[in-house]
Amino acid sequence: MAKIVACYKWVIDETDIRVKDDLSIDVSRAQRKLSDYDRNTIEAAVRAAKEAGAQAVGLTFGTDKIKPSLKEALSRGLTEVYWVASDKAESADGKITANILAAAIRTIKDVSVVLCTDGSSDSFARQTAPRIAAILGWPVVTGVRQLEIAGDAATVTQARENSWETLRAPLPAVFAVLPEINPAPIPGLMAIVSAAKKPNTELKAEDLGASFETNVRTAGAKGYAMDRKNIMFTEGAMADRVRELALALRKEGVL
Amino acid sequence: MSEDKFDAIIVGAGIAGATAALLLAREGLSVVVVERGNYAGAKNMTGGRLYAHSLEAVIPGFAEAAPVERRVTQERISLMTETGCFTASFLNGRPGAPDRDSYVVLRGAFDRWLMEQAEAAGAMLVSGVLVDDLLTRDGRVCGVIAGEDKMPAEVVILADGANSQLLERAGLRAEPVGPRQMAVGVKEVIEFDDKVVEDRFNLLPGEGLAWLFAGLPSGGKVGGGFLYTNKASVSVGLVATTAEFMKSERTIHELLERFKAHPAIEPLLKGGKLAEYSGHMVAEGGYDMIPRLYNDGVVVIGEAAHLVINLGYTVRGMDLAAGSAQAAAKAVIAAKQAGDFSARSLAAYKTFLDDSFVIKDMKHYRKFPHFMENSRLFNEYPEMLEKICAGIFTVDGRAPASMLSKLMEPMKEVGLLNLMKDGLKGARSL
Repeated sequence: MAKIVACYKWVIDETDIRVKDDLSIDVSRAQRKLSDYDRNTIEAAVRAAKEAGAQAVGLTFGTDKIKPSLKEALSRGLTEVYWVASDKAESADGKITANILAAAIRTIKDVSVVLCTDGSSDSFARQTAPRIAAILGWPVVTGVRQLEIAGDAATVTQARENSWETLRAPLPAVFAVLPEINPAPIPGLMAIVSAAKKPNTELKAEDLGASFETNVRTAGAKGYAMDRKNIMFTEGAMADRVRELALALRKEGVL
Repeated sequence: MSEDKFDAIIVGAGIAGATAALLLAREGLSVVVVERGNYAGAKNMTGGRLYAHSLEAVIPGFAEAAPVERRVTQERISLMTETGCFTASFLNGRPGAPDRDSYVVLRGAFDRWLMEQAEAAGAMLVSGVLVDDLLTRDGRVCGVIAGEDKMPAEVVILADGANSQLLERAGLRAEPVGPRQMAVGVKEVIEFDDKVVEDRFNLLPGEGLAWLFAGLPSGGKVGGGFLYTNKASVSVGLVATTAEFMKSERTIHELLERFKAHPAIEPLLKGGKLAEYSGHMVAEGGYDMIPRLYNDGVVVIGEAAHLVINLGYTVRGMDLAAGSAQAAAKAVIAAKQAGDFSARSLAAYKTFLDDSFVIKDMKHYRKFPHFMENSRLFNEYPEMLEKICAGIFTVDGRAPASMLSKLMEPMKEVGLLNLMKDGLKGARSL
């Protein structure tokens, strides 16, 4: 049976990221989650597989912390998940990630479609789909808001700035989909319980033979803090303070 | 057992639910825990103190591995008025003993850890799913309903907390709980740089403070304030009976703000950053509010069974939760061996629970909730102490009054008869 591969990323929950007073970034207490829009992408793969009589499987690359992601991805309707764990994943850029994912896709039999999300909720670099397609030599369409698979070709609608464009691509192909392609329903009780029984396959990074070389290095990361004027009106009667506040706001050009 | 029928479905991944799951999984029963939050502990709340003895029986030495914040070595109790605060303080310098110790915990981290122990033993956690209803056949509980899904099980263990919606469905409580039996609690977790907590509260590394307040925090109404020290933060909050808010012009949030602004508290929180704000219902009715504990195919444990003891100077729920989980697990394991999950078989749970510290303690303090419904405890007595202390410690150049009159005048205002009556009543109910 042909396989539709949904690539997903297990990211740090951005609501748990703290910027300290010295603008250093603290992720030590951050939980991880499925990248928000990847939920829609997995659902898109499940729906497309159902229509096309194919099998929807998942693929992810991350550190040894990705294990809990398997249950979540499988509970969303995938029949199997392939995963590559490496401690180098934390600093991997689009090039390394695409190298690993493309090598993994080569080892999975009968892949007809690869779905990525247009961008992940952490870096939103939008590189994974085009790079995977380039490595595999497959066609790629990004910004996909509608997907239909018929035989050995897919018809997709791409969102442009002021228009939608319908494109046809022979399979196998890679598509980067937008969250609006379909909703991402919350998995129910039975779906989560049955996910525990579904298979997952670890692919070892060293067996894939993919390169971890890249020319981009992270030089540093710093939080961003808005500078505030910290002007407080604490003296005098309330009416006077309000008048002062209004005056100051006018002076700043706010009012 | 059929392919998709579990031995037990546990509703709620708090201390009660996770402990029961761990014990059942250890005995090889198939267990699934259904939690409405996105992870175990996500929706759970405590002021902060876990008495270790009962969980210690399940996981000996758990505090070594679990994410506990601090071991409590300092106790403070205060009677607080708007302008004063009378505090009794006790430092327990004895070395720790696992079965006597207590720990300050934050549930988000602690419950997650406890549930992981249950998962490692073979229990399954399903999070982010709300159990809407119970599956019943011929009047007996035979599973749960969540959304469109119906999941069968031999027994359902209700561990869904103070505000259990499923008790009535299970036929375990006929009458809804009234506002006098339920309190509402709010808490802020205020973060500091490391070391600040130890310096400010005079603590050794790893050791912590538990501080309870009566009087001003609950606005002179039934309830009280609390402050617990975490690793690098402080949990500060208050609990007040919901009935009081039906006639009070102040919201609980306003009460908390006033408590935090009190001169005894404000300097301790200075420079801290608000990291978390939470609110929760608390069962406060005591022994007389415990519902029926079992029926055909169902038992109820933890705070869902109103297993909470609030004595003002000691507030307990989590140790009772773990204790009731042990009693229930024992009964369910026996029921599995007998292949009988009827009410008659599960009645063993009540026998085990009655025999355990849980019900013995609840019975012992049975009269205390009524004693606490005395407004003098939260108004006249804090004021009396403030007047006595202000009288003793103030020098203003006027002719001194005798020590006896400094003590007696404020006491007479309350009424000596009232003092005696309340003293006797309190001593008897403890």
